[in-house]
Amino acid sequence: MSRLDDELRNAFKREQPPADFTARVLERVARQPEPQRSLWQRLAALVEPPKMRWVAIGVTAALLIAIGAAQYSRLANKVVDDTGKLSQAGPPPEEKKAPVNEGEVDAVITHRNSVAVPKKHTLSLKRHQLAAARVEKAPEMKSEAEAAKDKLMLALSIASSALNDAQKAVHDDGPKP
Amino acid sequence: MNNATGARLDDRIERSALGDQLAFEQIVTQHQGMVFSMACHFLRDRSLAEELAQEVFLSLHQNLHSIKSPEHLTFWLRKVTSHRCIDQSRRQKLRPTVSLEDVAEPAARASENDLFLSEMLRRVVDTLPEKARMVVILRYQEDLEPTEIARVLDMPLNTVKSHLRRSLSMLRDKLSRTLGEVTL
Repeated sequence: MSRLDDELRNAFKREQPPADFTARVLERVARQPEPQRSLWQRLAALVEPPKMRWVAIGVTAALLIAIGAAQYSRLANKVVDDTGKLSQAGPPPEEKKAPVNEGEVDAVITHRNSVAVPKKHTLSLKRHQLAAARVEKAPEMKSEAEAAKDKLMLALSIASSALNDAQKAVHDDGPKP
Repeated sequence: MNNATGARLDDRIERSALGDQLAFEQIVTQHQGMVFSMACHFLRDRSLAEELAQEVFLSLHQNLHSIKSPEHLTFWLRKVTSHRCIDQSRRQKLRPTVSLEDVAEPAARASENDLFLSEMLRRVVDTLPEKARMVVILRYQEDLEPTEIARVLDMPLNTVKSHLRRSLSMLRDKLSRTLGEVTL
């Protein structure tokens, strides 16, 4: 480092402003109108303070709980509904007893081909088939419901810890004596 | 800067942005020397420098939400002060009212009077073009490296280096003529 460098450092040492400099700056700041913030800046400012950040986390957790509970309730209702329908449907309608002789059999076949099956009977059959399909799917749906329940319990525990943290943070940030 | 100091400064910036006047006052107190000195060395007029420094802090108050860290705050203040000084100088045509050749030759030797030498150096630097002058001030007042000066002044690194080289060479010439046997 040359002597010129040292001399330049010495020549350009920092200087202090007048003693009332800070006071004058603050006075001018106080006279300034509040800066106009854009809508986005104002929205962002809502979650800027530490307390509000925790409130935002709490609200998000509450929303997740509500969605999870609704989903769980929907699945549980579906399972109950299916079980109820199944019990109402009863055993499948029995076929008419087979005719004894061949002549009667032919007559019945001819009758079945010529006469349309009543609509009421078809509907009952379809309902029964649907119920049977649901019975087949019941274990699958039950496992789905169990999984949803597990997820809900996990969400609840996360939300609970988040809310505890939020409460703690709010207490910590609160006014000090 | 240790972690505790950094955290305190971060906290001050955050509180200032939320309207805490005390925190803003602490920021002003901490940085006023830097801002005022840059303006004072550049403009060579204390009242103009004070006015400019106040405007820089007013601008800071309006832009506190964009300051991300204490380092960013210092960088922001240096940048805004530099640009405002250059603008002010161009507007008011403050630069050289005296040419390099007109700078008075000192009657005393450097060893006899360091204050006189400092004043002479400042007057010679005052004859430099605006950007070159600011490069010298940032280099020797703020002790910044050429890369940092390039960032503050939005200037290519090679331009900063060439400004420094030419300014120092000019200062050496002038001072060797003036001070004769003193090796600089």
